[in-house]
Amino acid sequence: MGKFPLKSKPPMCGRMVVIMKIKKELPYLLLILPAFITYTILTFIPLAMTFGLSLSNWNGSVIKDLKFAGLTNYMSAFSDVRMTTALKNTLFYAVMNPVCVTILAIPLALALNSRMPTRNFQRAAFFFPSVPSILILGYLWSYIMSPMEFGILNKFFGLFGLDAIPWLSSPKMAIWSVLIVSVWSMVGWHACIYIAQMQGISSDFYEAASIDGASKAQQFFRITLPLLRPAVASSTLLLLTSALKVYELPYALTKGGPGSATTMLTQIVIQTGFINKKYGAATAMSIIFCAIVAAIGFIQYKVTHKKEV
Amino acid sequence: MKRKKKLNSRPLSSYFFEIFMLCVCVLFMIPFYYLVVNTFKTAQEATKAPMALPRTLFLENYQRAFEGMNFLNSLTNTVIITVCSVTLIIIFGSMAAYAIERRQNRVTKACFYYFLIGFMIPVQSIIIPLFLVLQTLHLQNSIWGLIVLYTSWSNFAMFMYRGFLSGVPVDLEDAARIDGGSVWKTFWLIVFPLLKPITVTIMIFDVMWIWNDFLYPFLFLSSSKKGTLVMEVYKGVGEFTNDWARMMATMVIVLIPIVIFYIAMQKHIIAGITSGAVKG
Repeated sequence: MGKFPLKSKPPMCGRMVVIMKIKKELPYLLLILPAFITYTILTFIPLAMTFGLSLSNWNGSVIKDLKFAGLTNYMSAFSDVRMTTALKNTLFYAVMNPVCVTILAIPLALALNSRMPTRNFQRAAFFFPSVPSILILGYLWSYIMSPMEFGILNKFFGLFGLDAIPWLSSPKMAIWSVLIVSVWSMVGWHACIYIAQMQGISSDFYEAASIDGASKAQQFFRITLPLLRPAVASSTLLLLTSALKVYELPYALTKGGPGSATTMLTQIVIQTGFINKKYGAATAMSIIFCAIVAAIGFIQYKVTHKKEV
Repeated sequence: MKRKKKLNSRPLSSYFFEIFMLCVCVLFMIPFYYLVVNTFKTAQEATKAPMALPRTLFLENYQRAFEGMNFLNSLTNTVIITVCSVTLIIIFGSMAAYAIERRQNRVTKACFYYFLIGFMIPVQSIIIPLFLVLQTLHLQNSIWGLIVLYTSWSNFAMFMYRGFLSGVPVDLEDAARIDGGSVWKTFWLIVFPLLKPITVTIMIFDVMWIWNDFLYPFLFLSSSKKGTLVMEVYKGVGEFTNDWARMMATMVIVLIPIVIFYIAMQKHIIAGITSGAVKG
């Protein structure tokens, strides 16, 4: 700041510099202020409070006689079977959902990027399941997957002589059913992310490759796939974080059941906090949940950054 | 040369491929066909032949669905919540992005990293203290409380604006500043209009997110008078589970506004993603 041109008298100079600097910076700081205040009060302070409360013995509707309880809430969270089951379910879902969506979205993007007169219509149709609320889609699929007569999914498989599948009532099958619905609703959205990347790939690569006699499959694996890496990174990051936070879909489709087969971490946190009113335990679970999301998000971010350079 | 030839005369296989893709498309959309078609049938007819077209135009399901919900009230609430939140998010997010991108010093950089932490915080992990904060602000069980909650996520818009701003040349702003315009005026009169493409993208995605959100209204808007459209479906499922034709009619009614929005904005939505603006 010594470079600042000083025109004022020497005794006043220090003060003037500060005042002038504030005058210059203040308009910019005022522009940040509204976002800063709402974010601080409604995101950052609550996070700090969650952390503070997780170390307390607060388990009532009013805050009184708060005592420092150390890590007891964390210990009981980890020894809670519901919590460990939910953790397993969430991690399974958070791995499988990005994998399944990506495996289907890339070929879909390839198809939707080829020259077809109905291409725009098809893109709009495949994107459509991302438009309605996922809660409503969950309820809709609970009818489709129903074992009752109107459950058209089993009727459809029945046409091929297959036995009825207990989509939502078998503990083993239920989490796959949640995955199916989630993949169906997201694959079009993520195909669009891949289309964006494909449009940036110069057609020269493909021309050169076909002159050299490379087959379509070789072109895909040697040119398209490696050049899609930045899109894979950002798409999987989106999928991963949203899968870790999944709440509405299993809630609408299976209510977390049968038993605890599709109970996710978010559901446990909300149940413990809002229904059982065990705030100390719920906040400890929240912090564990937050730490998992942050850690996985951070690792993904690092990997993404390396790839995109 | 080879490519050009292909363009003019399509090989037969490409027709087969297109027909195949259209079949996949139809399969993909069947759940929505199933949803709409069964709302026009009696319960008996729907159970017997769920995939058939309705024999008569049976409208009683819609009539009962409208009776069971407070459509106008929920629609008004949802519109107020969405419009106010999205407007505030766009104002707050773009202003903060401008200051952070154009005025890079220690303070704005610290703010940037401070906002960055928000990406790592899942909403569900802060809901219990949020309840207390809203109580302190006397905003619990009020749509204004919900608007404030959504607005607090303007840091996502900030990141998108910041990315876009880094590609906007500063010359215009400098000229305006030399002419004696204040930061505030320069931003709103010169810079903000230039941000229109990204504003449209942010607006569309925030509208879809807030309009469809279930968790916040579910937790912080328990009064039935103040429900949103998605909450109507949730309540309906609790009340008349077995009357599934009526449930489906409720879902269709609730879906209509957002589907109209999608059809109207469809070009911008898919263009928005395919231009790479939404990379997360």
